[in-house]
Formats: sequence, structure tokens, C-alpha cells
Amino acid sequence: MGVTQHDVIIIGAGVAGLTAGTLLAERGLDVALVAKGEPTACLSTGCVDICSLDHEPLHGISHLPEEHPYHLVSRGVIREALIRFQIIMEEMMLPYSGSLENNRLVLSALGTYKTTCLAPVTMAAAPQNDDDDLHIITFTGLKDFYPSYIIARRKNSSFSAYNAGVSTTMGLAANFEREDFLDSFILWLEKTKIRESKIALPAVLGLESAAAIVKIIEERVGKKVFEIPTIPPSMPGRRLFNALKDYFRKKGGTIYWSWPVSGVEKTKNIIEAVITPSEGRPNSLNAKAFILASGSFVGGGLHARRDTIVENIFNLPVFNPGKRDDWFDSDYFSLNHTIGKAGIIADSSFRPKDAPWENIFVCGGILAHTEVLKNGCGHGLALATGHAAAVSCIGYLK
Amino acid sequence: MIKTDVIIIGGGATGCGIARDLALRGIPHCLIEKGDFAAGATGACHGLLHSGGRYVVSDPVAAKECYEENIILRKIGEKCVEQTGGLFVRLPGDSKLYRDRFLKSCDKLGIPTEIISSTKALDLVPNLNPEIEEAVKVPDCSIDPFRLCMLNIVSSQKRDGIIFIRHKVTEIIKEHGRCVGVKAADQVSGELREIRGNVVINATGAWSHLVARLAGDEVPLTLSKGSLVITNHRLTNMVINRMRPSADGDIIVPNEAVCLAGTTSMAVEDPDKIRIESQEVDTIISEAGRMLPHFNDMRVIRAFSGVRPLLKSAKSDSREISRGFQIIDHGDGLFSIVGGKLTTFRLMAEKMVDTVMEHFKLNKPCETAQLPLEGQEELSGYPLAKRLANMKNIICECELVSRAEVERIIAQTGTRYVGDISHRTRLGMGPCQGGFCTFRALGIMQEKSIISPEQSMFALRDFLQRRFRGIRYCLWGDQLREEQLVEYIYLGILAMERK
Repeated sequence: MGVTQHDVIIIGAGVAGLTAGTLLAERGLDVALVAKGEPTACLSTGCVDICSLDHEPLHGISHLPEEHPYHLVSRGVIREALIRFQIIMEEMMLPYSGSLENNRLVLSALGTYKTTCLAPVTMAAAPQNDDDDLHIITFTGLKDFYPSYIIARRKNSSFSAYNAGVSTTMGLAANFEREDFLDSFILWLEKTKIRESKIALPAVLGLESAAAIVKIIEERVGKKVFEIPTIPPSMPGRRLFNALKDYFRKKGGTIYWSWPVSGVEKTKNIIEAVITPSEGRPNSLNAKAFILASGSFVGGGLHARRDTIVENIFNLPVFNPGKRDDWFDSDYFSLNHTIGKAGIIADSSFRPKDAPWENIFVCGGILAHTEVLKNGCGHGLALATGHAAAVSCIGYLK
Repeated sequence: MIKTDVIIIGGGATGCGIARDLALRGIPHCLIEKGDFAAGATGACHGLLHSGGRYVVSDPVAAKECYEENIILRKIGEKCVEQTGGLFVRLPGDSKLYRDRFLKSCDKLGIPTEIISSTKALDLVPNLNPEIEEAVKVPDCSIDPFRLCMLNIVSSQKRDGIIFIRHKVTEIIKEHGRCVGVKAADQVSGELREIRGNVVINATGAWSHLVARLAGDEVPLTLSKGSLVITNHRLTNMVINRMRPSADGDIIVPNEAVCLAGTTSMAVEDPDKIRIESQEVDTIISEAGRMLPHFNDMRVIRAFSGVRPLLKSAKSDSREISRGFQIIDHGDGLFSIVGGKLTTFRLMAEKMVDTVMEHFKLNKPCETAQLPLEGQEELSGYPLAKRLANMKNIICECELVSRAEVERIIAQTGTRYVGDISHRTRLGMGPCQGGFCTFRALGIMQEKSIISPEQSMFALRDFLQRRFRGIRYCLWGDQLREEQLVEYIYLGILAMERK
């Protein structure tokens, strides 16, 4: 068995795990991240929702039920986590617009508005009401974007289709990184007589350079340009993940990629190592502290059996909101599916409640009572709790 | 106003079979269905073309009918019946006496059987429980009920039959005490149509008592709900039955890429208000798991229920043809046909049309058992080989349906319903249950100006609610994970409004 030693091992490479990881690495700790695969962040819009219950996100948080994990984090730490995130993303050439004072809107691919707090700068020009007239660009054959859904709601808008020779989200994004491709596209755009004041595109403007590409198009065409997030594979989500991941590596963090955790070595009150079955032989990854950020059901941190809900790595106690019949409300759109409350309950130091180990911390989507969709707190909660769990972990290591 | 001879209400297998039979005998007719074809019990069954084995001990008359119809359908529907063969497996503890009675009765009725050792059975179906005592091989087959309805309708349409789907009969018109026509409301536009005829046939299954009441007549029905589950994989290439008297969860049928297992039996009152209990799902899984152990850890992608229309008792004014089904002459030009099984739908249609011919004093014999089903080439599904050869621009990743195929169906049928595409291509029938591809299919229909964007938003909402009803009782494990992702896509990324 290979044996490796680090200060801290984080399980999960989503926004929560990477937030904790970058903070620990910045503080000079030897941090390793173990990831089974790509995080759900890659499926997301890339937007950071803090809380959509009120136009002031922090005010919205005060409306949340007392068991919501946001209440474990002080307002000051939420603010600090957010500012730190904006600084990192600025450095990684993927700036985010918005502030904690007010929520903002992002136009969805159905023409509705999604409420968020911080949006990638490529969505900064998205309309904040129905008045703006838009010209929507689509790409011939692109299967995940249909402008007519949007036009049905915005009578003052129209669309054109560009035949790029490729028709997948990833394929288009990869091509937009090429100068000649971008140039031909802009030439076509200039020839297309666009009357409307803003240009909207599905989020395919580059794998990583989207912010720069939007700026180039805006300068050449003389109109505001913005991206509309699409269903997965979602480029803004991937860009967010890649930026955080690259920053983490830049700060000296290690990533064990595609290494699912298959076992744990532990004593009565200490987790000593996690075992991963990589490359044909098991590896024992030892550390002084562990942070579990493996996400909710989609991320794979939680697993629902027919009669119960479990966490498979440490077998931590999981809050189960009831019997299987009670997990879902009969109205699909109600957002009141109690399954959203399932997860690990954390104490004020972000240690899992009722677990015997002193050196494990939890954060992000795996936490109980988050109800991410209902409360509109995707990524925001991960940033805040990832930051707070890392701070708690640093305190423990001292 | 439309004039015809025979009005058929109901587009299940029976109604569609009657339309084909009337067409082949040259009788003008009009079929009216409130939803889509096979929307009732026809589409909510195993899709099992019975060998008769299931009923051979309890109901030999029905068993014999099943076997005869099995032979006929295999012959006339060569391309839409999958000749899987079936096994009746006897598990430790199952009565040997029942097995002896089973074999004796099959022998008497002429249903071919072959006793197979457990080793041989495991060769045929490697996923079988290795502890089985033995198996008996019978000629069970798998059949797609929707395709079966469509194939019957092809014969009707070729001979000027008039078909209205998504039309609900709101009134049966009576003059001088006789049924002379119906009024039917277009379920989309609300437009009311009047159709006049000499005879009205009520082939509405679990709804037949409600339809008969429109003419002031009664059909004494007992409704029994049966639930089924669909797995993500085809665990067996043969139909698997349990060698014991009929009970919950004792039949597993392979259908294309998946398996269907069921059923249960529970009395219900209202055919429009049925729901599945988690308990039923668990029972089916554990019972099916006794025959195919993998069933216990297999991903279940959907659970659904159908309602069996069972006759309460034989009435003196009804003609009992067998214990399987009955035709009721209400004496006012309305006939109701109830009971029966998917397997015997053709026989039911034949007897029904014989009754109508007698009523009209006409004398043309039935040909539905001799002539092959028309249009099988076109409706033979969408075979995997074709899918794999056509991997460009896949719209439905679960079932490998390409954009070209979706566009072809839209052009060919002009359909405004995603369901029509699904039935023809399996779009949306895989593990994500349409979570990704419905948004795309509706988008393509908009591009082709088949539907307006407003309509497609309505259709998308409606689809998601219906999809949820289908998967709600199998949400655990990977299916719950998938469901959480789909919910996140629609309510999170696409910010779909709550109402």
C-alpha cells in the first residue's frame, strides 16, 4: 500500500471543498483534495446564489429556519468568504459581478429570471427587467438551446442562427478559444443587421477565456453582450470549477483525481487516513485533519436506500427527513420536497454532530437542512461553510 | 357533423382491434379516444402475449383463448411480437401439486410445455435464482401494446376509418330511445364535434360504466388496480413467471432494453384517481427478486398502475362468451365490451363485430386472424443497430435517439405531442425519463413551427408533473440522484416558474 502524508485531506472537489482547500493552502498548510470525479459545480450555471428569499441576500438568510447551516456562519465570515472568492476569480481572469447588498437577475434559457447574488461577468449585461430588447444568437444544430422559449416571453426580441460547423456546447466553447473562429463569428455578427440593443448568446463563449471574449465582441460590435446559462454540460459551471482548481494548485494544493475513497483508518476519536484504490493498488492518504465536502445526492455524498439515507465514507449519522413516502411532495413544483433537508448536521465548529472523531469537518451540500433550491443558496452556502470549516480546521491544527 | 355506421369509443387494444375488424369487413366507422392510444389498461400492463399458462389452472377457458390468440398474433404480427418464450419457475417451497396440475391442464388444452432442469434454465436465463427447483418452458412472448394499437389503426385508416384521438365523448345522442350518435370535445381546442352512426360501441375498459351512463345504461364493473415497475436493464431475455397460483409480483417481461415486473391487485373506485403505494413497489421488487435476485439492487426507473375492468356478475341480458370477457347489448344501439386481456383483444374485437354484423343483418366473415397486420415494417420500432449507426447529434442520450429521427417523425406525423415521438422512438423512456430530451424535443417542434413556444412551455410543465407521478414511488439510489439533477436543471438552471 502506498502511504502519503498531508496536513489536511479534503474529500470532494466542488465549490465547498475547493474554497476550504484554497484557504488552507494560502495559510501554508499541505492540503490534498481527493475527488471521485467532476463536481456538480460543472453542471451549474456558475452563479453564486447566497439566498434568494429576499432582494437583500443577508436579509434573506435571517428568514431561514434556525436549523439552516447558514446560521452557523457569522455575517462577517459570509462577507469575507464572498470577497475572497471575488478576489480569486479576478486573479483567475473570470471576474464576478454583484455584491452582497442586492441580488441580481440572470436570464435563463426559458426566458425566465434566475435570482442570484454574484454572476460571472459574462452575464453582467443580462436584463434586469422585461424592457430590454434582445437579439439572441443560436448555433445551427445546438441541441440544448432554443431561442423561441425566450422570445415567447420577450416580444421585443428576435434571433439569428450561426452555422459554426459544430453543434455541441463543448465543441463551440473549444472553438471560441481560437482566434480565427472568433473572428469569423464577429464578421458574421457585423453583417447581421441587429436592431436590438443587446446581444444574448448561449454560454458557449470559450472554455476559459469567456470574460475576454465577451469584451472583444462588445468592442467590435458596439453592443452589450451576455451569456445565457444552458443545461449541462454548462460552460460557466466548468469555468468556475477550473478557476478554483487552478488557483488551488497554484497555491500548492495537491489533487488526487478520480480516486474514490473506499475505506477509512481510524482510532476511537481520530481519523488517521482514507484509503483509495487508485492505479491498481490501494493508497493510504494520511492527514491530521479531514474535511468532508462530498456534496448531496447528485454529488454522491449522500445515498438514499429504500428505507434510509446514508453517508458511505465515514458512515456519519445522517438526518433523515422521514419515511420514503414523505421525501417528496405530490406537487413537483412546490419546492417542498423534504428530501432537501437530508444531510449531516454540523455543530458550531463544523464537526459532524454525534460522531466520535475530533479531526473531521463537514461543509457544503452534504449538510442537513440546506434546501438549496427552495432557499436559492447554491454555491453561496458552499462558499460560506467551506470557508468556515477551513477556519475551524486551522484552529484545531493549532 | 360526421356520418358513419359504427362509432367506437375507446382507443385501447379492444377499440383499435374493432376498428381494424370493421375496416376489413368494409363497415364505415369512427373511433374516438379521449387521450392517446393505449392510454388506459392497454398501455399499463406487462406487454405480455400470454401463452395461457398463467390461467391454465384457474381459468382453462381463458387460457385456451390466450393460447389460440398467441398463435394468431405471432403469425399476423411477426414483426411486432418478440418471441421470447417464457419460463414458469418453481422455487423451493412452491407446491409441486400446482406444478402437476399446471402440466396436466396445459397438456389437455394443447399448450406446449417442456420441463427444464435448473441447470438448463440457468443456461437460458443466467440471472435466474440458482436455487430454483426446475422450470417449465411455454410460448410466452413480449409485445409492445402501443405499437399494437397503432398497427390496428393503420388498417382502419387505409380504409377510410375516421380516428379522433384526444377527443372526449361528452354526450351520447339518443332519439326515440335509440343511440344515434355522440358529441365529442377536442381536448386541445375545446371544439365540439357531432358524429352520427347507427351503433355505438363502448370499449372504454375501466371507464365503461361512466360512458354507458351517458346513454342512461349501466355496466356493473368492479375495478382492480394493478401496479408494475420498470427496471433500467433487460435482466432476462425470456418471460419469467412464478409457478404458483396468481399472486403479487409473479411475472417479469423483457421489453426492448428494459424489464417490466408486476403486478399487484387492489380494489379501486375511480379509474382517474389511482396512485401507487410504496408498499406495492417494495412487494413487486422483493417477489421479482426471488426469481431474478438482481432485481433487488436494480435501478427502477418508473412505477405505474393500470385499472382492470372486471365484470361484477353475469347479467341475464348479457351474452357470456367466456369468463374472460363479455359483450353487453344495452338494447338501445349501445354495446359495451368489457373484461378480457391484451392477448385476447383480437378475439374480443371479432366477437364484437360479429354482433354488430348480426345487428345489421350482414354476413361478411372476420379476416383479422388470417391477414397480417399492416404497416409492421414502418412501425417495427427503432432497432438498436439502427440507433448505433446513427450516432450523430443524439437528442436522447439514454435511448440513442437522433435529432434526424425526431425530425423525421415530426415531418411524418405532424404531431404536436412529445408522447407520439416517444412511442415511436423510445425517446425519454430511459433512466432520466425524459429529463433532458423533452426540453429538446419541444424546442425542435418550435423550430418546425409545429407548436408555439407558449404551448411548448405548457407541455413542458405538464410533462414534468406527469413524469414525476411516474417516478415518485421509485425514488431512491441512482434514480433519486437523477431526479435531484433534473429538478436542479428545471427549477435551478432554467428557473422554471412554480406555477
